[in-house]
Amino acid sequence: MKLLGLEFYKCRRRKILLVCAAVLAAQVVWIVSTFARQDAEDLLQGWMLLLYDLAMVDAIIMPISVAAIASRNCELEHKGTTLKLLETMTSPGALYAAKLAWGALILAALLIVRWALFMGVGILWQFPGEIPWLRMGLFTLISWAVSMMVYALQQGLSLRFPNQAAALVCGISGSFLGILSLLFPPALTRCIPWGYYGLLSLVGMNWNSDTRFTWFFWEQPQPADLVLLCLWAAVFLIAGRALFVRKEV
Amino acid sequence: MNIIETHDLCKQYGNALRVAHLDLDVPEGCVYGFLGPNGAGKSTTLKMILGLVRPTAGSIQVLGKSMDGKNRLAVLRQVGSLIESPSYYGHLTGEENLRIIQTLRGVPEKNIREVLQIVRLDGQRGKKAAHYSLGMKQRLGLAAALLGFPRLLILDEPTNGLDPAGIQEMRELICSLPGQFGMTVVVSSHLLSEIDQMADHVAIIREGELVFQDTLAALHGRSRHHLALRTTNNAVARSLLVQRDIRCTEEEGYLILPILSDENAAQLTRFLAENRLGVVRLEERQKSLEDIFLELTGRAVSL
Repeated sequence: MKLLGLEFYKCRRRKILLVCAAVLAAQVVWIVSTFARQDAEDLLQGWMLLLYDLAMVDAIIMPISVAAIASRNCELEHKGTTLKLLETMTSPGALYAAKLAWGALILAALLIVRWALFMGVGILWQFPGEIPWLRMGLFTLISWAVSMMVYALQQGLSLRFPNQAAALVCGISGSFLGILSLLFPPALTRCIPWGYYGLLSLVGMNWNSDTRFTWFFWEQPQPADLVLLCLWAAVFLIAGRALFVRKEV
Repeated sequence: MNIIETHDLCKQYGNALRVAHLDLDVPEGCVYGFLGPNGAGKSTTLKMILGLVRPTAGSIQVLGKSMDGKNRLAVLRQVGSLIESPSYYGHLTGEENLRIIQTLRGVPEKNIREVLQIVRLDGQRGKKAAHYSLGMKQRLGLAAALLGFPRLLILDEPTNGLDPAGIQEMRELICSLPGQFGMTVVVSSHLLSEIDQMADHVAIIREGELVFQDTLAALHGRSRHHLALRTTNNAVARSLLVQRDIRCTEEEGYLILPILSDENAAQLTRFLAENRLGVVRLEERQKSLEDIFLELTGRAVSL
């Protein structure tokens, strides 16, 4: 707990709130501008459309956002060559865990605010049907889980390489691959970590090529996909931690 | 009692043995100078002592305990360190930087003010560390090392980047620590003059190997006087001196003899003249500490 508290203390003046606000603003602008173009008929499935679009937006925006947040937290250790001081007072493993826990709390806070924001958008837009509180909650939980898997990868990279370009390039590539992978068959999407934002979406879409009519339906994530998500997270966590702990400072 | 003991300590990077079979003994309560040219392996050795770098072979004991994974953090609670450049968070103030160390070490908050006063940084405690000068950053690093008032302080080139006044200030501070706080200070440097003014024990390392370890007085003892003799035929003169049981070596055209009394020196010149050898030069010389250091570390190595 002491180390976790210090992570928040160290991130003073690192403009983490500003990064999070920018992520939320980008998502709100994106979604609201999409909805503004829809006609009344499309908005009959407003809640489903919202969750479907949010999953897509997550696949594009979250990889780079998670990379930026991890980099903001890890870069300060490289800049001031502080690891050689910290590691005389705590173990590298404990430090790694504290940073991961910090990322988990920041992403949780970001996504909870996002949940509240988009519930507000749906209510204000007066989407028909019952308000899907629970589904939005589950969607937030899934977004957090996928973001944590990506965060484990990004933290590993940000701590390994003093030059944050490597981690940020990975984040940018992730954003590109994340949305691109949704065009692939699911078997291939499963091989791309950033694709899980779309793969675990709670809303599916059908499109009739003759009538050019699109409709959405609720769906549940495949248990196998959830297991695979945990496996990816474990691989990134174990590899990143091992590289950090073994590194001589 | 030795506060640090290393036995057969080695560190290999690739095929190069950077630290080779090092046996260090640091007595408690002293200022221990760890001297060597750049790249000799000083920082690597100090990092191994702190457990930041894993030794390839050998053992390390600090404060009487083995520095293995189990003991490391417990032992390091009584050790302060400043390795290579100072560590700091540039976006935080000097005081905020120290608060992080204070929380991690679990020491009283009043220590922050105390160490800031010791390193004369209390007037700048609210300034961001990124805006400090190099000397101020070095002092902040020292304050961080002193924060827990440890029994052992390990300082790697602490005067790097300081101006002459700062060097003098740092030197005085280091010298005062054993007397004032009962600390043992290990201080590394590539400058002999610096160690000469601070340390009472010295170890000299060259290419990872320990070439000297003793008190500073013993190192000074090596700078004894000797005579340098040059004759018309040094080879013949040398054999004649050996016959008279006078030990000598030849260096750069001179025969190097132990110091002789005036009477013995007069007898020697007469003896050489009787053997038809002309004395061209007879000089009294003294090796400087610098000469000894260069002799021990090799003249080709840069200082």
